[in-house]
Amino acid sequence: MGPRWKGKGSEAKALADPMSKIVSQLKSTLIQSDSHGLLSGCSILLEVETEEQTELLNRACFGRPIVTAQKDKQWFQLGMEEAFYLYYNLKCLKIVGEGKCTKTEDELWNYMKSKRETFPDFLKAYTHLRTRNWVVRSGSQYGVDFIAYRHHPALVHSEYAVLVLSEGQGNANGRLRVWSDFQCTLRLCGSVAKTLLVLRIDRNSVGEDSPSCLESYSVEERTITRWSPEQSREDKTIASSQLL
Amino acid sequence: MEVEGWENSSGGTSDSEVYAQDTNDEENYLTSGDIPKLQFRKNISRGSWDDEVGMTEVVEKKGGMWTTTGIVRGNKMYCSIEETLFLAERGELSVLDVDDSSISLEDLYTKVAKATSGCCWESFEVYRHLRSLGYIVQRHGNPWTMKGTKNESASAVGIPQIKVITEQNCGGSCLINELLNNMRIEELRPAFDVFLPNSKFRKSSPGNPSFMLCVTSGHPPSKSQIEDLERQCNGIPLKFGHVEHGRVSFFSFNKVELPILP
Repeated sequence: MGPRWKGKGSEAKALADPMSKIVSQLKSTLIQSDSHGLLSGCSILLEVETEEQTELLNRACFGRPIVTAQKDKQWFQLGMEEAFYLYYNLKCLKIVGEGKCTKTEDELWNYMKSKRETFPDFLKAYTHLRTRNWVVRSGSQYGVDFIAYRHHPALVHSEYAVLVLSEGQGNANGRLRVWSDFQCTLRLCGSVAKTLLVLRIDRNSVGEDSPSCLESYSVEERTITRWSPEQSREDKTIASSQLL
Repeated sequence: MEVEGWENSSGGTSDSEVYAQDTNDEENYLTSGDIPKLQFRKNISRGSWDDEVGMTEVVEKKGGMWTTTGIVRGNKMYCSIEETLFLAERGELSVLDVDDSSISLEDLYTKVAKATSGCCWESFEVYRHLRSLGYIVQRHGNPWTMKGTKNESASAVGIPQIKVITEQNCGGSCLINELLNNMRIEELRPAFDVFLPNSKFRKSSPGNPSFMLCVTSGHPPSKSQIEDLERQCNGIPLKFGHVEHGRVSFFSFNKVELPILP
């Protein structure tokens, strides 16, 4: 299953406007405005001052806008992986807690781990996809951890439904334990035309003391598909070459 | 199936999902008369069961299926327990015991249940499913012919050979060996080499199988099991067959490398 662009011209539009460029523009504008996100539960709230920033956040698909009556400013809500990626990898966002004091790297790291045990692995998966310029959004609508887009969701349907498995952590995420889990997930992915991508995160015995540990984690990418013997009786490569 | 317009372009995705037509082809029979029966055959091949090698020596070949069934050793042809049972179920092969008494389907089912001939019931179900669709299926590690290999002897047939190798590896009693043995229980092996339906198939030059198949009825494979199997497959695609309640599903776990996008 290849990319499914939304209508004519979408692919060309995406090509002319690479995601890497959009994200680096977002990065410089956030640095310029010395942006601060407010830590609240498992979210980070960000007040955006300019329309340009709002547009860049939307185009880069970071966070979701909060609808308010406030006229001149726009609020965004970022997830933990999104915020930590902007903070740690792109170094364009500071995160503050109560009393407006800026959180240190250790404080943030420990806070997010305490909120979700699998955070280091999810962050590794998120970072893995984002650094390859894939657009990553929450997968909760499809019962998976993330969904990955080739470009902005306005231009292309998401290609992968992503599950994050923690290798050697006793499958902390709890997904795909038994065969019926595979059948269930694949049935759903098939009905929404997505390929199931499993990212196995191997911590390589490095632990999770600090976010720098992530550099030593490895990621294995595997797509899981069902094969139908009823529909695969002919060798497609031979069949198509005979047509030519 | 091309599905368009099920997702909003505004970024806030909708919950609408397109449900594929529920193709439930489960056989639900009300009366015994509804259960289909295979046609009675006049031309029946004959074989004699050899308990020592756990295979049937084919004595009389009738029908075209022998071009894709059975292995050739010396001047003789043998078929495995799954081949034997598959053909016996369809009434294409009549099997005799050493004392020339006929071996019934019940006897064959019992043999598969005991799994002493290298094939358990779930493996047989997978085999039958693929064979019924015309796939050419061979026990993994059991060459069709011994042509081209040096040790051409009738006794060196497949399964016993494999058994011997495993037993040799398990020799010794030191702790490391014991640990290795324990690990080996978890080790999976490809069960079958599967070739696509092919009327020009020849046992003497079968080519590479389309894929190798591992059969599981228990747990899904772990990462290390998949990697271990992939090493055994030498670049030939690997699939998993899973059997539950008599239904067979097949899965691929393909390693990919996502492209770095612009």
